[in-house]
Amino acid sequence: MSDNSIYKDVLMDHYRNPRNRGDLTHVDVVRRGSNPRCGDDIEVGINFKDGRLGKVMFRGRGCSVCLASASMMTEAVNGKSKLDAHRLAEAMKAWFTADGVKPTESLQALEAVRSHSARKRCVLLAWEALDDALRAE
Amino acid sequence: MSDISVIKNGPLDKFDVATIRAGFPLLAGAGDSLHYLDNAATTQKPNAVIDAIDDCYRHHYAPVHRGLYPLAEEASNLYEAARETVARFIGAPTDQLVFSRSTTESVNMVAQGWVRPRLRQGDQIWLTRMEHHANYLPWQALCRDSGAQLCIIDLKDDGSLDIENCSSLYGSRTKLIALSQLSNVLGVITPVKKICAQAAEQGIAVMVDAAQSVGHIPVDVAELDCDFLAFSAHKMFGPTGIGALYGKVERLAEMEPLLLGGGMVDNVDECFSSWMPYPAKFEAGSPNLADALGFAAAVNWLDDYDITEMHQHVTDLTQYALDSLSRIADVKIYGPRDTWQRGGIISFNLAKVHPHDIGQIAGERGVAIRAGHHCCQPLMQLLGVSATARASFAPYNCHDDVDALVDAILAAQALMG
Repeated sequence: MSDNSIYKDVLMDHYRNPRNRGDLTHVDVVRRGSNPRCGDDIEVGINFKDGRLGKVMFRGRGCSVCLASASMMTEAVNGKSKLDAHRLAEAMKAWFTADGVKPTESLQALEAVRSHSARKRCVLLAWEALDDALRAE
Repeated sequence: MSDISVIKNGPLDKFDVATIRAGFPLLAGAGDSLHYLDNAATTQKPNAVIDAIDDCYRHHYAPVHRGLYPLAEEASNLYEAARETVARFIGAPTDQLVFSRSTTESVNMVAQGWVRPRLRQGDQIWLTRMEHHANYLPWQALCRDSGAQLCIIDLKDDGSLDIENCSSLYGSRTKLIALSQLSNVLGVITPVKKICAQAAEQGIAVMVDAAQSVGHIPVDVAELDCDFLAFSAHKMFGPTGIGALYGKVERLAEMEPLLLGGGMVDNVDECFSSWMPYPAKFEAGSPNLADALGFAAAVNWLDDYDITEMHQHVTDLTQYALDSLSRIADVKIYGPRDTWQRGGIISFNLAKVHPHDIGQIAGERGVAIRAGHHCCQPLMQLLGVSATARASFAPYNCHDDVDALVDAILAAQALMG
């Protein structure tokens, strides 16, 4: 792939070997994000532990960007307080909608997707579902 | 590269892809770095169209049907000459060709202006399963508002219309049949002429969405005998922002205008007004002179070629693409596998690879295809998918473009598999 490809190694690793993808039956809260325009459909589940995010899981279907972003999200928010997780979700939205700065180094692989406006929702779907789940708690 | 010489020396000896391509500055400028296969979304523009628009603004621009000075009179004459050119292209009398913004606006004009006042509870409007949202949503909304029934002609496995199972299609409750002449997803060409003939026997009106057909296959409204036919300039090498609606004399006379405003009135009193005769009554607001001239330039450009020959070239490419894609493991092609009654549009999916990823990876390799639901969600539901990838061909495409598509699909498979 060329240097400007969105398919960076880290992104492809998360797509091929998604972290925290699986069963959501034993989580405290589940929220869904879907994009009928392309059929991406993700559910994000959170287990809370002492007011912080314990295990964060996801399941669903989508393109590589959507699934990789969901996988990266579950790692990025693990152990954070609800407020910090919410702030990170807000920072992600800002990063992809305006001139926001990269929220954290672990999300660097998504940088190349920023210039592709058509894929913005693919990236943000899991983050929006996470934010919904935080508000639901 | 080899295919161009094959075409030069083959049965299509008058048809030269290299010459056609050279007349499209964006394609000529991009060279081998762009394989533009998104022609069902919009076509590229030849110099003839770009120059006509440029020439309008540089030398002929003035208000249309509003001025008494020579420049304005010239602008009005050019606008009406453009109408004549576009009308002649589809075999329509000049005054029965209404300029609109798009196919979408043309369909909405018919829905609101002719069907709505005539639609009663219990009436039926028939569509096909593969309609574009532009020829679906206006009818869905009308039926919802009026208590009429939205009825769907389903598809056979090969994508053709399953008319035999629509027993009340030509029944007394049917007010309108609205169908696409060439599916923007499956590429299927529908039997519009046959449907119009049977509908006419029962006094049923037929609205044809010809967005994908005009400029790509021969279309003649007199031969089709349809009541309405809508199409867009930008899908037939003309500018964006302008389309057309053809209507039969009695239909246009009966139809109420969608937009009210300047340029379409005969007389305005405090409480009552009367409209100009068609087509003026449907063209409220300042006419889009430059794009009308660009539209006519696209038609004149097409007229320099034999449309049957162009379609044959696209058909040959489509067959080559169908054969090539069929040889790739895990590719699923939707619609007919042969090119009989088919336009140059192929929708497909790749097992385990999302269409967005196919589209993105193809894009990174200079192959421009579409990925999504193509504004045809009811058809996607029938196919059991949320989206497909779609390649669509135009006369400036060649076998190299198909080969690049195949390479891109193999690359997507290698990366994502």
